[in-house]
Amino acid sequence: MSNRVAVVGGGISRFDNPRYELHEELCAEAVKEMLADNPNIDYPKDIDAVIYSYFSDHLAGQLCFHWIIHDYLGLLPKPAYRVESGGATPVDALINAYMYIKSGIFKNVLVVGWEKMSELDTPKVNEFIAAASDTDWDFPVGGYYTGYYAVLETRHMHLYGETEEDLAKIAVKNHNNATFNPYAQWRSQHGTAFITVDDVFKSRLISWPYRAYNCAMISDGAACMLLASEETAKKFTDSPVWITGIGLGTDTMRPGDRVDNPMYKGLYPEDETVYPGVSTKTAAPYPEMANFGSIRTSGDMAYKMAGIDNPVKQLDFAELFNPYDGVELTEYEDLRFCKRGEGKTLVREGVTEWGGELPCQISGAHTAAGHPVGATSIAQATQIYWQLTEQTANKWKTTARALSGAQRALLQGHGGTGCQSGVIIFERG
Amino acid sequence: MTYRPKKIVEAWEYNKQWDEWARQGNWSPVGWRWVEGPKGYRLDQLSTANYLVIQRPHASVYHHSYGMTSRFFKGLIEKKLYGAKCPKCGAIYCPPRAHCWNPECRLQETEWVELPLRGEVHTFSVMAFSATPFLKTLPFIIAYVRVEGCCTTVPTRLMKINPWDVYPGLKVNINFVEHPKGDIMDIYCTPAETPDPSKRMMTQEQIERLKNDMQKVKEWVVRKFGSEAKPSIEI
Repeated sequence: MSNRVAVVGGGISRFDNPRYELHEELCAEAVKEMLADNPNIDYPKDIDAVIYSYFSDHLAGQLCFHWIIHDYLGLLPKPAYRVESGGATPVDALINAYMYIKSGIFKNVLVVGWEKMSELDTPKVNEFIAAASDTDWDFPVGGYYTGYYAVLETRHMHLYGETEEDLAKIAVKNHNNATFNPYAQWRSQHGTAFITVDDVFKSRLISWPYRAYNCAMISDGAACMLLASEETAKKFTDSPVWITGIGLGTDTMRPGDRVDNPMYKGLYPEDETVYPGVSTKTAAPYPEMANFGSIRTSGDMAYKMAGIDNPVKQLDFAELFNPYDGVELTEYEDLRFCKRGEGKTLVREGVTEWGGELPCQISGAHTAAGHPVGATSIAQATQIYWQLTEQTANKWKTTARALSGAQRALLQGHGGTGCQSGVIIFERG
Repeated sequence: MTYRPKKIVEAWEYNKQWDEWARQGNWSPVGWRWVEGPKGYRLDQLSTANYLVIQRPHASVYHHSYGMTSRFFKGLIEKKLYGAKCPKCGAIYCPPRAHCWNPECRLQETEWVELPLRGEVHTFSVMAFSATPFLKTLPFIIAYVRVEGCCTTVPTRLMKINPWDVYPGLKVNINFVEHPKGDIMDIYCTPAETPDPSKRMMTQEQIERLKNDMQKVKEWVVRKFGSEAKPSIEI
């Protein structure tokens, strides 16, 4: 008996701020799009179970929101539960659905994710997101997520020498990709003109070295994806996309605890040897406060499962978790697209740009497509599905960012300051 | 009162008006707007619709125990800095943990030791924006500081230094605020040495850009909060 897991459909309700429609209405739109694209889905009969993905009860002032969504979508009395792990919520929801199907208990599992972040002003949204940091330690000194990621990036810059310009180049790449994406918040708010490095430098400083254009947007939106067992997948589509690898990993809640972390000490010796002399070597030189050990661990697990030993060659494109541009640069290293310290080289050589060897964030992702936390990685997964099934040109009404013949892609998502990470490898059938 | 201690040994009693202020944010609408906005799941398929938007406040007072790390925070109130030392492996934690996380120590309980008021900047950021409670003190510097002898770093405010003069490795002193309240803001750091300009992380061009940014943030804070504005960085 084969028990492969397939992606057989996806949908997105566009990211913007604000979306005035209710949370459940956004979710219904995403599911509706998926059903319109896949007439073979007998809805709701074909749905065996649902995993719901949303990050914050605070942002909506509503706990157990998935109970509202579930009955709204007409899915009673089917099994359902919610997954929550900060920014990793949507990728974990997809991994949960994968494991549900792998267990053999359910054949077809729907994943629905959303977030509405527009109900509070920007400082308050940042406060409630910061409630996902240690509120006895990191938050009371004036910490919030841009700040936490900024101190991590400062450390990486100190060790490996990338510049504000390298970060700005990542911003330019992602924003310009998003100008083609009809689901993107940047396009809704700023139109379709390309931006430049200078525009990034002119945008408001948030936490040095991060400026507004380096940072994730505050967004409303929803996305969904239907996963199916190999046995049932062929009923829905002739061109399924297979999940051939998943990976999970963790690191400390407080980023400041990572310097000598005994649990990472010696785990990745190849990254410890490239620790530069500019600083006193910590007891845990990798990841310490510069890289993301959870991402390395989750990536390695997924690569092993999918039989990948040269990601740049074997992957055609990737959608990464990029709340702040230094994170994307660091992820290149943590996901072994290059050696530690060489993330900046990939940026400078344009390897991850459209037309490069391994395009990253074709959707625009967090800083440009938008980041309604519970929906983000599911929307990225849906964009991956559309690319691998060559539906992007039709969906985006342009071939400007549509790949042809792409075989394999990586999705990575994480929560906190990399406290928890998940990776999924998608392959065309 | 939901939190009932067996015995109150010592206290700084909170102003009970906070309970009333928290009750005032009671989830009930305090205003509404009938707005016109876009409707539709894709940018190329939008129409216009009307939406009712209500304003509904909510607030709470948490009665939070610091648990087994309480000694640390009581120490701050007494203007003393404590760390937690594992008697098995000798690691000293600040932030403290009541149980050692070293895999060989099998969650051994730690012991309190007093720490020197010296440390080193491990990394930092210059904040030009923040969550609600800290807006009035913008701009400010957060530094993760390794207190001498410790195996973890503490988030602190770094004061009395130009933001472009900060770099990892800078030696700092740890100071207590005049009136400690029992959280990590009771300490702040100041440089313990004259910063070495050759170790700066910013070029002259970046410094000029940052100065301009700091000026803009300061003006914004003063405009928003008037006399309550307390910017932490002097230019």
